[in-house]
Amino acid sequence: MNRARGPWADEHAIVVDLGFGDAGKGVNVDLLCARGRYGAVVRANGGAQAAHNVVTPDGRHHTFAQFGSGTLAPGGPVPTHLSHLAVVDPFALAAEARHLSELGIADPFALVTVDRRALLSTPWHQAANRARERARGTDRHGSCGMGVGETMAYALAHPQDAPTAGDCAHPARLRRKLRLLADHLAQVAGSGQEGAGGEGAEEPPNLEECVAAYAAFAQRVRLVDEDHLAHLLAAAPVVFEGAQGVLLDEWHRFHPYTTWSTTTTANPLALLAEAGRPGQARRIGVVRTYTTRHGAGPLVAEDPALGAVLPEPHNGTHPWQGPFRVGHFDLVAHRYALAATGGVDSLAVTHADAPDRVRAATGAGPLWCTAYTDPADAPLVIAPRAVPDLVHQERATAALMAARPVLEAIPDEPVAAIGDALGLPVEAVFSGPTREDARVPSRVRPSSAAGAARGRAPSPQTTVR
Amino acid sequence: MGSSNWSTDAYHARAAYNAAAGSSSFAYTDDVASTMPRSTWRTHETLDPKDVAVRESRDSDAHPESLAVSVLFDVTGSMGRVPRLLQRKLPDLFGLLLRKGYVEHPQILFGGIGDATCDRAPLQVGQFESGNELEDDLGNILLEGGGGGQVTESYELAMYFMARHTAMDCLDKRGRKGYLFVIGDEKAYGAVKAREVREVIGDDLGENIAFPAILAELQRRFEVFFIMPTGSAHFRNKDVRGFWDTHLGQNVIYLDDLDAVSETIAVTIGMGEEAVDLAQGLEDIASAGSDAGDVVGKALRPLSRARGSIVVSESPDGLGGAAAGGVDRL
Repeated sequence: MNRARGPWADEHAIVVDLGFGDAGKGVNVDLLCARGRYGAVVRANGGAQAAHNVVTPDGRHHTFAQFGSGTLAPGGPVPTHLSHLAVVDPFALAAEARHLSELGIADPFALVTVDRRALLSTPWHQAANRARERARGTDRHGSCGMGVGETMAYALAHPQDAPTAGDCAHPARLRRKLRLLADHLAQVAGSGQEGAGGEGAEEPPNLEECVAAYAAFAQRVRLVDEDHLAHLLAAAPVVFEGAQGVLLDEWHRFHPYTTWSTTTTANPLALLAEAGRPGQARRIGVVRTYTTRHGAGPLVAEDPALGAVLPEPHNGTHPWQGPFRVGHFDLVAHRYALAATGGVDSLAVTHADAPDRVRAATGAGPLWCTAYTDPADAPLVIAPRAVPDLVHQERATAALMAARPVLEAIPDEPVAAIGDALGLPVEAVFSGPTREDARVPSRVRPSSAAGAARGRAPSPQTTVR
Repeated sequence: MGSSNWSTDAYHARAAYNAAAGSSSFAYTDDVASTMPRSTWRTHETLDPKDVAVRESRDSDAHPESLAVSVLFDVTGSMGRVPRLLQRKLPDLFGLLLRKGYVEHPQILFGGIGDATCDRAPLQVGQFESGNELEDDLGNILLEGGGGGQVTESYELAMYFMARHTAMDCLDKRGRKGYLFVIGDEKAYGAVKAREVREVIGDDLGENIAFPAILAELQRRFEVFFIMPTGSAHFRNKDVRGFWDTHLGQNVIYLDDLDAVSETIAVTIGMGEEAVDLAQGLEDIASAGSDAGDVVGKALRPLSRARGSIVVSESPDGLGGAAAGGVDRL
């Protein structure tokens, strides 16, 4: 439903995180939807473990997980489409809808369409996920504990039996699949030693209650067939909202600290190609002015002192992911991410106020990591492989865990320096949490250039509304 | 990342979905109903039939062989939750029609039917659309929830509009009727009333038109079906059933489960286009993952026995029955 006023956007957009996640995809999707009209926000990977924080200029805050981050856009919510490459958790969707209603969104469920083929993530997947992580003891992979990885793994192993969103409308079929799933995952949990019945184990989910809830979901949320996305794309430009970050991609990143999800632009591009529109989208990469990671795994430029200067309002210590970790801007990692995702067309930079805060708190300017060295001080070079190779990635991970960053001062005008260093035009710069804290430097595409500031220095600023 | 709480609490999720079922995606209705006194409610401008010359279903480069499909449903109180259910189900109609190749270029029009004797919005008619705009039309339909107590709605007024205010390339260029499905559970009034036509549509009609006359006129342009949900308030009313059986015969479809409405319409069109017979149609919807087969089969069996070509143009002399103007799907 096209309630937003203002001009239509001129092309589809893909928003992808060039780090480990948390760079600011949500606020960028919110900004895009505020600037131009989009027919929908489309999710093409991941599930409810996404957590995209959007704060509106009037102070409302929502952490988007299943809903697209265009839901709070001015001029009316942009609908959400969960494509067949997304993972659907109706419980998370319900919880999120409740909060969105409190924020004044009338009837959030009416905003959502779900491809019937999308995999369903269930409490059984979550339980297995948690059992596995508990069994790892102190060697956790940094999972969110939402069971999305288990959902993908089970579907790969049992393609015919994996429950899908479409099954929710067919209680008998769904019941059969959930029974199989429960039996299978009970074995997984049982093999998890202390994880199974030990401390922290939860009650097994009630199958009939779940079937009833999923049926209610199917009654209320519109399930659609495979041609729906083609219609959407034909009717209006859409935003593909990526989940997680490229550096967590299932194939390219640092095994085993990865998400079981293709986090590059590959999925949105695949959906466009399926709809007969290959490559017809602008790819926007998002980075912070520093590099963060929520969860275990390599973060070469990590600096706990920096974390003390840059507090994180929406990312606390997570029961499954552990503490939020902060490091200097990691050029090496972000260049690797760009290579892994096959490049992007432009850059959005968030936390542009951080360099000044670092300077104010420490008396010294911000640093960035321009190279890695190994423990013997020899240069360490990483490059993505063309062909997925988890053994190679695991070796790379081991090397990265021992690597040391080469730190240098970021040149003046850090945002421009980051854009130049990555070889990309910067199309949006955020120095605060809301879309009104965004400005548009020069070299921006025509659709959004109207009223944009000339010159790409951090000031003077033009606020984009 | 990972903000959601670990919860197996299906109960709360179900409660949330069920509670929301009371509200709706009929945004216009919700807006109007919450902000304006009932006496000031009016039809959304995009659906207002007043002074509309024609609703058009035309060929285009993208849709070179358009086929007009219209679905008009009773929005009065007696039908209760039906329009909301239809809103969720009907957009899938495109997918069903296209996927199995029953129709290559459907253009679908939605409309709402009320009671012109007492409703503020007795007739609402969208455009023939080939895409997602349909959802906007559905969202703009005003669910007045009115209607009188006389087991009669203004179906005949809607039929008048569809007979006289539509233009369809499928008919004009190719001699193929459009499809018109009316979903309701009451009788039509005995005549199209000139006064109501003037007020609602704006035509200056000299005199009333008897229902059989307007139906006959309509049927020269559309293959007309009446879908009656067996669970509706008036399904047991012999008067109502007798009325439609008399006027539409096998084209009255008694449907046990409105959840199957998209499948029912799709298979009806599939049979009308002679793309499939009933058995094949049921197989098609089963292979599309629908379990509505039993319901659809039961609803359409009477129709399938009476199936004939719906093409109206005469075959040119000397070409026999199989050439231009005939059925080209077989």
